[in-house]
Amino acid sequence: MAPTEPVPTPVPAAAPTPSACDTERAGASTVMRRTPDRVAACFRLLIERPVSLYAAAVLRIGYGLLYLVFLLREFPHRDEIWGPGSPWTPALARQLFDQTGWASVLTLSDSRAYFELCYAAAVVTSALLMLGWRTRAVSVLFAIVVASFHARAIFMTDGGDNLILLMAVYLVATACGRRWSLDARRARLRSTEGPEAHRAPTAGGGVRRHLRDARLCVITVLHNCGMFVIAAQVCFLYGSAGLYKVQGGTWGNGTALHYALNLHLFQPWPALSRMADDHVILIAVACYLTVLLQVAFPFVLFGRLKYPVLSALLAMHVGIAVLMGLPLFSAAMIVADAVFLPDRFYRALGPLWRRAVERTGSRGRGASPGPEAGLVPAQSGPAGQVC
Amino acid sequence: MNSGTGRPGGAVLSGVEQTEVREPNSSGIGSAESGRGGDPPASHGDSGPPHRSLKAATGAAVVLCLAATIAHVFLVFLHVAPANAISQRYSDRINAWVYPVFEQNWRLFAPDPESVNRQISARTMRIAPDGTSQVSGWFDLSGVDNSAIEHNPFPSHTTQNMLRRAWSSYLETLGGDDQPRSERAEMIQQYLRNIAAERVADRRGGSFDSIQLRVVTLPVGAPGPAGRNRPATAAPRPVDTRYLPWWKAAPYGTD
Repeated sequence: MAPTEPVPTPVPAAAPTPSACDTERAGASTVMRRTPDRVAACFRLLIERPVSLYAAAVLRIGYGLLYLVFLLREFPHRDEIWGPGSPWTPALARQLFDQTGWASVLTLSDSRAYFELCYAAAVVTSALLMLGWRTRAVSVLFAIVVASFHARAIFMTDGGDNLILLMAVYLVATACGRRWSLDARRARLRSTEGPEAHRAPTAGGGVRRHLRDARLCVITVLHNCGMFVIAAQVCFLYGSAGLYKVQGGTWGNGTALHYALNLHLFQPWPALSRMADDHVILIAVACYLTVLLQVAFPFVLFGRLKYPVLSALLAMHVGIAVLMGLPLFSAAMIVADAVFLPDRFYRALGPLWRRAVERTGSRGRGASPGPEAGLVPAQSGPAGQVC
Repeated sequence: MNSGTGRPGGAVLSGVEQTEVREPNSSGIGSAESGRGGDPPASHGDSGPPHRSLKAATGAAVVLCLAATIAHVFLVFLHVAPANAISQRYSDRINAWVYPVFEQNWRLFAPDPESVNRQISARTMRIAPDGTSQVSGWFDLSGVDNSAIEHNPFPSHTTQNMLRRAWSSYLETLGGDDQPRSERAEMIQQYLRNIAAERVADRRGGSFDSIQLRVVTLPVGAPGPAGRNRPATAAPRPVDTRYLPWWKAAPYGTD
């Protein structure tokens, strides 16, 4: 992703007032012009345009939904995992927090009622994040919830939980509520109902306008940085998963999946696992393909090749979900992969979805404007001048 | 994922990014930028100086965001990568940043997937009032987990991760002998005992004074017709059977 390339240098370049910027540009020779221009363009992108807003929304919906499903799935076991009745007792958890610096709201009290309250709050928070209601505040709450529940049951977590925790923390920085959310819907309704009422406060005083622009600028930069960190995180995940596999003998000789398929704890359908295990050639091919896809992942993201690679990874994760009984882990990975799909892909999904909704339950809202209306204008223009 | 030797204070990262950035109009931050304009920040009008200091503060916030992003990505990379000269020299700083929130380990089935199944069983002992001890039969804890996973498209963490990770943590912290030599080892031992005691008490009822675990390691056979096609008829032969010491289990099943 481009945003971080123009790291510290461009800030002074953009800091001067527009007039100074113009004279600078006019005076520059044609040879010297190209690189600074490109850097300036990158920088303008960084501070003016929040990238991949749809992908951020997909992450928000995905992880909110996943955590909701996870909490509800573990409802019968909630006390055993996070509650005061867990074999990892609150006292043990607190002792570990003292050693590691973790913290959790769940260990603040050993009362069962308090725990049930926390659990209910976690369910509500996850649902609200999924829906995108007051997204920024809820995303902070969600990060606290996920960190608390993760830390409380740290010895019961797996890679999927780990990924969800990281993403929950990173999502706080992103503007993940701008698309496909209740917040977006509210903004859209407000802008269509009364444009004058919406515009009125902006005209009230220059200071307030400058404050608003500065706020927008910072939010945009924060979002772009957050998205970059998320993308880098996913690359690290696949890169290290692949490169550590390269070091293993069984991945080298193509038998690793044979062993993985024969682990009883990852064998929800023994007949299916045996059937897959019988195809020695298939297993070997799948082993090599897995390593190749994971190692190649960070390098194919900048070209067309990313679509077949993402599709193959999707298939791989669906296979893991079914064959190994790891649906939560796989879904967390699939959602993380979705961050690399461009906005135009998601925008194309919008009409399809609307058509499907109209076909099933015709509520006569087909004429509503697209999600862009009333949201994008807020980002344009003035934000850049302030920075 | 088990928090290793993390140090307190690592959790502040995202908080710093957030709170410092949230206040672009606070006065102190942007001093580096304020000199550029040349004008002293005198108050002659209502849009000039506040505008300039606001600009400076915003610029500072942007720089801070970018710096935090680069630092984070770099440090996480060093945390994820195998130990090397850089990560060894700066391990203090890396750990301070990464632990505990950003700890991660993506050795998923790598470098090699496990090639053994572990069958963990427990038995309990009860001292009768007349002083004689009664020892129960073995209760197959792993068997309960395995049957809960079979034909379950979405197994619970309690069946898939709890005992598995407790045992792998036990191996990590206690190794081959059963003498805990660190605080962490004692905690893990307690955890493992609690899991076993609670499950036995739930499933079988009755009261007991102490509990013992037995861990049978069953290797997965090599692939191909030689190694396979027989699990249906003959169970794989265990390579290792380990008996853990009797542990006091006072709080459980006291009736």
